Amino acid sequence: MANPMEQFAVETIKPLEVAGYDVSFTNSSLWMLIALATVSAFLFVGTWRPQLVPGRWQAATEYLYDFVRKMLDENVGPEGRRFAPLIFSIFIFVLACNLLGLIPWIHAFTPTSHISVTLGLALIVFVTVCVVGFARHGLHFFALFWPHGSGIVLGAFVFVIEFLSFLSRPFTLAIRLFANMTAGHVLLKVFGTFVVALGSFGALPYVFGILPLGVNIALTALEVLIAVVQAYVFALLASLYLNDAINLH
Amino acid sequence: MPQFDFAHVFWPQVAWLAVFFAVLYFGVVRLTLPKLGKVMGEREDKISGDLSAAKAAKDAADEVDARYHADMNASREDARKAIADAKAKAAKASEKSLAKATASAEAELAEAEARIAAAVDAAQGALRDAAAESAQAIVTKLTGGEPKLDAAKASVAAHF
Repeated sequence: MANPMEQFAVETIKPLEVAGYDVSFTNSSLWMLIALATVSAFLFVGTWRPQLVPGRWQAATEYLYDFVRKMLDENVGPEGRRFAPLIFSIFIFVLACNLLGLIPWIHAFTPTSHISVTLGLALIVFVTVCVVGFARHGLHFFALFWPHGSGIVLGAFVFVIEFLSFLSRPFTLAIRLFANMTAGHVLLKVFGTFVVALGSFGALPYVFGILPLGVNIALTALEVLIAVVQAYVFALLASLYLNDAINLH
Repeated sequence: MPQFDFAHVFWPQVAWLAVFFAVLYFGVVRLTLPKLGKVMGEREDKISGDLSAAKAAKDAADEVDARYHADMNASREDARKAIADAKAKAAKASEKSLAKATASAEAELAEAEARIAAAVDAAQGALRDAAAESAQAIVTKLTGGEPKLDAAKASVAAHF
């Protein structure tokens, strides 16, 4: 019986080393590349020749773009539109990784089930937020952590808490996505194991495997939902953090 | 969990993530999304332009309608006035001709009355002459003296 953690194993396809660092091309890299290729195909086909009255592919890309733009309009305001390409890239990359990793039988790997990948994505957001915040407000950016209208002692106390919570943002962002993806895939694998174990019961073959199989079908639907929702949550939190940097509340 | 085996999974994944995300952001999204944004903006402009053109056309139509109604009301008023004028004129004309007819009838009546009065006078004059002559003849026969005709006439006139 396969270990439910085996599916997260990173296997080297082509060993590489740059400046002493191991940067081998792995199955994780391969599925990131597949995600990139899928997204590129989707976007290039959808925007091949943009029409005033869109076709199907264009309507699909416009729908996603509009979704991201509306999210930024609501959470950041008019200045948020400048960051639409970045938030869109993060959203669609996470979405593609999440969804492609759910495809059965083809040894799909979910890069977003690895905290290294999600932390990398979260750091892109964090670095952008810091750069934008300091570029727009200079040292005044630290006012973000200072509570309005409080005394110096309480203010300093809250400042420390707010600052630590700000520093923890990339980690919570990364762990949320990684934990959701990992838990979902573990659950699917565990129930898949049950299907085999109960289905191969000698006296009545197949009969008892039906129940975990039904559970697995329902879980697959749930995981598709979670894949979309987590991509949305990642992009939404990224835009909320950007809002802090731009508007300092 | 393989995820926490950072010595083996961190750099290979982060390095390729950086490469692929850079390609995605600079090579795909930055090339394609502006095209979409442009066409979406054009569509919004076109729709709002069409809407404002439709609104302008509707305003113009409303104005024409209002002018039509105003014209209709004005001409209805004119017609009413013309009818009233014609009525008044006709009434005046018939009054005039009636007055004329009345006047000519009165004139005829007066003439006829005058003629009757003249005829009565003439008849009375002849009667008086006859009475005077009769009286002269009677006096002559009774007295033998012949009175003057004028005296007889005066006497007859005094007795009438």
